[in-house]
Amino acid sequence: MVKSIISMIAVALILTFGVVFETTFIKDEFKGLKEETAILYDKIEAETANDNDVYVLQTKWVNAKEKLHAFISHNEIKEFDLWIAETVKYVAEKNWNEALTKMEVIMELIEQVPKTFEFSFANVF
Amino acid sequence: MSSKRAPYSANIFVSFPHTTLMLVIFIRTLIIFLVLVVVMRLMGKRQIGEMQPFEFIITLIIADLACIPMADLSIPLIYGVAAVLALFLLHQLFTLIEQSGRIPKKILSGTPSVVINKNGIDLNELKKNNMGVEDLIESMRSQGYFSLDDLDYAIFESNGKLSALESAERNSESSSMPILIVNNGKLLGKNLKVLQDGEEKLKTFLAQNGATLKKTEALTVDGNGRAYLKKKNEKFRILYYPLNEKVQW
Repeated sequence: MVKSIISMIAVALILTFGVVFETTFIKDEFKGLKEETAILYDKIEAETANDNDVYVLQTKWVNAKEKLHAFISHNEIKEFDLWIAETVKYVAEKNWNEALTKMEVIMELIEQVPKTFEFSFANVF
Repeated sequence: MSSKRAPYSANIFVSFPHTTLMLVIFIRTLIIFLVLVVVMRLMGKRQIGEMQPFEFIITLIIADLACIPMADLSIPLIYGVAAVLALFLLHQLFTLIEQSGRIPKKILSGTPSVVINKNGIDLNELKKNNMGVEDLIESMRSQGYFSLDDLDYAIFESNGKLSALESAERNSESSSMPILIVNNGKLLGKNLKVLQDGEEKLKTFLAQNGATLKKTEALTVDGNGRAYLKKKNEKFRILYYPLNEKVQW
């Protein structure tokens, strides 16, 4: 009986800690990415963006995804990889309209992906 | 293209760029295996056949949950581990609730059913467990009992196992297997063919013993003509069924 209760409390604590850590970690990672994306979006809109600007976002994403792999479906991570890679190409070609389109998709993903980790009716069912 | 690129790997396992996928699967399997060993060890020593219904469900789900992240590399391992831990938590919780009193135990695990008593088989108890006479005979056979009157008591435990108390009058030297002829008022035509008799002879036999097909819960006959007749709401009787001379099994 005592062993059961202790193991239950231990597992409940592990799961609770996991939930809190996961929520905070994902929120923080995507918050940083959101800020970086907004800066790049403004620069692309102003047609002043260059390789270095995209490189900053890409590096931030590569660093973030190494840890995010543990929590996010790897298919979703691949989506980010593809859209960022396309942005790199269009900024290098100074194709601002296409680059802006890709950035909008990235921003939408950054907005939506963390929501799939929220405790909500939609996610539970 | 001249654009600058961040250090980029096509491999989704960025931290281990030189590992092969097979090695990754091996490591993931190892981790899941260790988690399962710890969890199953903490759950107790019960074997599959001794599990209560909720334990059996949890074991089935755990097996499935464990397989998914092992084989599908796109799913983070932590999903599987968290689900296994959640199931462990539920298991412990249900075990505690089950052990807290008779009513919770009855609700979660059910109660044993006495399906054979001194009066013979209890069809109502069998029905409560979604079983029939044939299922009972099958379970008895696996325990080494071939005739319904071999047992004074038979109990289906809440884990589905059959416990049996052998009858003192059991004839263990009988070398003929009884076959079920009437099951809950229904004639089993295929089995009747073994007797090489028609329905009329059987009905006459029943009538001579104050029974009708409808009133008969079970009738078995073995190769020596030894019959077990259980009528509704009456104690079973051992009778002699006149077999044809050529009949043998």
